[in-house]
Amino acid sequence: MSALSLPAASRQNAGQELRRIVRINEEIKKVVTTAFKINLMAMNAIFLAKRAGQSALGFGVLSNELRRFAMDLQRQMETLRIATTDSVVVVTGLVKQTRVERIFQRTLAVSKGQGRRMVEACLRARNDRYSGDESGGVTALNRRLSQMISDTAQLVELGSVLARSAKIEAAYGGTFSTSLMQVSSDFEQTISDIQKSLDTLTKHQSQEFAG
Amino acid sequence: MKTAQTIYENGNHKWLALVRDPSRPGYLIDTNEYLVAVGDDAILLDPGGAEVFPAVFSALSAEFDPRQLGKLFASHQDPDIISSLSLWLEFNPAIKCHISWLWTSFVPHFGGNDETFVAIPDAGTDILVGGQRLQAVPAHYLHSSGNFNLYDPKAKILFSGDIGAALLPPEADGLFVEDFDRHIRHAEAFHRRWMGSDRAKRDWCSRVSAMDIDMLCPQHGAIYRGEDVKRFIDWFANLEVGVLKY
Repeated sequence: MSALSLPAASRQNAGQELRRIVRINEEIKKVVTTAFKINLMAMNAIFLAKRAGQSALGFGVLSNELRRFAMDLQRQMETLRIATTDSVVVVTGLVKQTRVERIFQRTLAVSKGQGRRMVEACLRARNDRYSGDESGGVTALNRRLSQMISDTAQLVELGSVLARSAKIEAAYGGTFSTSLMQVSSDFEQTISDIQKSLDTLTKHQSQEFAG
Repeated sequence: MKTAQTIYENGNHKWLALVRDPSRPGYLIDTNEYLVAVGDDAILLDPGGAEVFPAVFSALSAEFDPRQLGKLFASHQDPDIISSLSLWLEFNPAIKCHISWLWTSFVPHFGGNDETFVAIPDAGTDILVGGQRLQAVPAHYLHSSGNFNLYDPKAKILFSGDIGAALLPPEADGLFVEDFDRHIRHAEAFHRRWMGSDRAKRDWCSRVSAMDIDMLCPQHGAIYRGEDVKRFIDWFANLEVGVLKY
């Protein structure tokens, strides 16, 4: 790379990076909606367990845990959403710089004499100003995003275990067993949907960013 | 690439027209930029859009040391007029942009900060370039609601922004108007559609008729000289504008 070429290859891929962040954000919105749904389902399950009485004590405890899980998930997704918003700010800056860089490269190609020297000096100053700075910022944000998705995956795994345990407890629910089984199956299915969304999120996040 | 053509020179007082870029993509409207240099001070009139910056910069620097450029004049707020602002600021962050007060909080979307803009009041003002007093002449609603021409009383040149503009076919894109009747056909539709106020048009015609003008330089198309200046003002005065028929 010459001193006057783009300071980071990442700038060339800024548009692609922006599209990737938009996809991640859309997936986060899906998980947020589902987490809200789990919260409501858990509240219904708590009432059902109370009605079932002594035979559904274990199911009641698990329903409470599932509600806590849904609230933790909502908080985690809000943090993820903020992280993607931060990424949009950084990447939008990169998109703008990419355009400016492209125009200066075109100016350099057609300028001579003092004008050319001015463009060269300007490009060098830009390189010093931005070199590593913005692409480094995107890399750090990406690392943070990956860590958050990984933490979320662990949290959802816990939710999955809780849903399976609730299914087992439902079997001891006496006359309420069928209803409790239905509720715990719904939990299992909904958490499985979240896992699918997280897999998609991980896939989008792991798409190599050329920077 | 654009070329820089000297249209006026008297000692250290010079007007350059930066015009005609054969390599310009067809989807971008062609624009004229003008540099007024007096000694080691200069002002660039309607510096152009970001996409034509390479052509404008290279044409300008072929004839003038761009380090001496400290002022920009924007007749109004359109992207083909001033969207290159942030690029000029890269070279000289202290550059000043003279523009109607109406646009001083809109144009910063293209670049600059509160230090960049010098607001021109509605009645106009003088802009000093190397000791030469240039006059920002009101041309509001023609077409922009905050719109100025720039008059150089010594050179007797009026930079008229979009007034006088013509969308010329490649076979008729000379720097100067040579055959007024033939030329004005390329200006008619533009003026009918873009000039929004008949009253503003009459005010402008009356104002500039009283001025001593050798050249009327629009931002698009060819420059009017001599008798063609008066012909244009008379033609414009009689043109029906601000009426869209469809």
